[in-house]
Amino acid sequence: MMKPSKKSEIEFCNVCRLHHDQGPRHKYFPRHKDFLSAFLGRFRSKLADVRFFLRNPILLRPQEESQNRVWCVFCDHDIVELGSSFACSKAINHFASSDHLKNVKQFLWKHGPAMDCIEDFRISEADVAKWGKKCQSLSNEDASSYKGSSGQLSGTSNDIHNKLAFETMDRIENVPTHHINSHLSNDVKPLQYNTYECQISHSGLPGVTQYGSYPNMDASHFPLSVDPLSHLPGNGFDKHSIPCRSKNYSGNGNYSTQENNPMCQDKKQVVGSYSSPGVVGMTSISSLHSSYDSGNVHSGAPPPWLDTNDGNVSNVQLNQSETSSFQKKIAGKTCKLNPKRVGAAWAERRKIEIEMEKRGLEMNSNTDADWLPNFGRVWQSGTRKESRKEFEKEKRKLVKTDSISIEPEPVQIQPYISKRARRESGE
Amino acid sequence: MNYLLPTLRKKEEIDRIIRDTIDKVLVLRFGRCSDNDSLLLDDILQKSARDVSKFATVALVDVDSEEVEVYVKYFDITLIPSTVFFFNACHMKLDSGTADHTKWVGKFHEKQDFIDVVEVIFRGAMKGQMIVHCPIPPERIPKYQLLYKDV
Repeated sequence: MMKPSKKSEIEFCNVCRLHHDQGPRHKYFPRHKDFLSAFLGRFRSKLADVRFFLRNPILLRPQEESQNRVWCVFCDHDIVELGSSFACSKAINHFASSDHLKNVKQFLWKHGPAMDCIEDFRISEADVAKWGKKCQSLSNEDASSYKGSSGQLSGTSNDIHNKLAFETMDRIENVPTHHINSHLSNDVKPLQYNTYECQISHSGLPGVTQYGSYPNMDASHFPLSVDPLSHLPGNGFDKHSIPCRSKNYSGNGNYSTQENNPMCQDKKQVVGSYSSPGVVGMTSISSLHSSYDSGNVHSGAPPPWLDTNDGNVSNVQLNQSETSSFQKKIAGKTCKLNPKRVGAAWAERRKIEIEMEKRGLEMNSNTDADWLPNFGRVWQSGTRKESRKEFEKEKRKLVKTDSISIEPEPVQIQPYISKRARRESGE
Repeated sequence: MNYLLPTLRKKEEIDRIIRDTIDKVLVLRFGRCSDNDSLLLDDILQKSARDVSKFATVALVDVDSEEVEVYVKYFDITLIPSTVFFFNACHMKLDSGTADHTKWVGKFHEKQDFIDVVEVIFRGAMKGQMIVHCPIPPERIPKYQLLYKDV
């Protein structure tokens, strides 16, 4: 029996999500090619995210595990990061595996395009090796700094909290390795510090000091005398910007004070917190602030935001630097507005003019006494501009007549005399 | 009610407000503070001004002022109160079924009518339409007769 040459079994194309009977020719159809490019483009972007984590290994927090999933379209397999310590570690391992490579080849053979883009869809073993080394060095750092810490933390809680610590560590430049990683101490109330402000702390200073208005804490300010609190993790914890993140965790607070204190003296104060066993639904922060010489709201001290010239100067500087960003912000806003809206071009120009006027630049005043908005007359036909032209014509006539005749000739009022009467009178 | 909305008496002031109102509808009421209909309209404008403040600015223009005469002529304002709408210094037309699409003549029946009109104008302007259809039903639109100069 002759098989019809142009018909084959009906099959389902995953890329086009279409049943077809075109057989192997289907992959050359332009529709399929379009769908395929979109399909692979989406996967490429996912892979780009994974490659980011390949270059910058970051510790994975348990609560973010669910977000760190990737669906591998070649293997039809959902990669979930359960129990992995680094972000996308399972995904990276999967993309480097031989099974994945096999599936990629199969996919490309079945759906096209050419096989030369295999490397785009997998991760090479060399990259994985490098990534592994980076992860190892990260975990070593963690271990060493952990040993250096004074906190005798419980085993299980350590892992979670260290992950927290490391995640922020990666984002801070020049973090000394001998820092104390205390999960407990650096957690503050969520609204106190902005994440970005904390991440600006390049020098490893805690987020508190970035405001500029907080006075630097000297060793003398440290509450070495505050014995009840000295065991608290809030005592001089490190320069991590963990204050930015609000996390719920329980600490057992078994800290040795001796190792803490020398560290305190060198470092800036960080607001610490701990959850005491008896307190439910709230976290107590260390009351080290009470050691401020400058007083507080109860003592009637001036508020920090009105304090010190340094803060003001920095604010002023910020303002000056931000003016340039204002324009960008304004420009950003206009980008969202419909460019086809009425008077869009005029609005853009006017905004720039206003901005320049605000800065004090002298603008050529385009406003003359004769300026009028874009037409206005009642008109039922013709274009809008015609009504404007008509108005201006009339205006010009009015001006001319005013200039020409200043005094109207005295009109002589005479009774009407008919022609006959004039003839008769003339005769 | 005039003291709550800005009252403009000079051409410069009108020019300034037209030029400075960017990406918002500008509502200019041409009327007189001694005229009853103007006062009724002003009441509605003043009460609604805050509600539309995010996308509209409302101002009152005194037609008796000398400098404003040029605008009165420019807009062919013969009946007061007349409300003219602008967007980005462009005059917006409103097709309300009356003879004059360039302005709204008379008062609004209620606040919501005014808000609806301003909203329709804003939406149309943001889409690039220079003339919009009035959303108010005809029974609530004030009727009048326009006298043309040629008639």
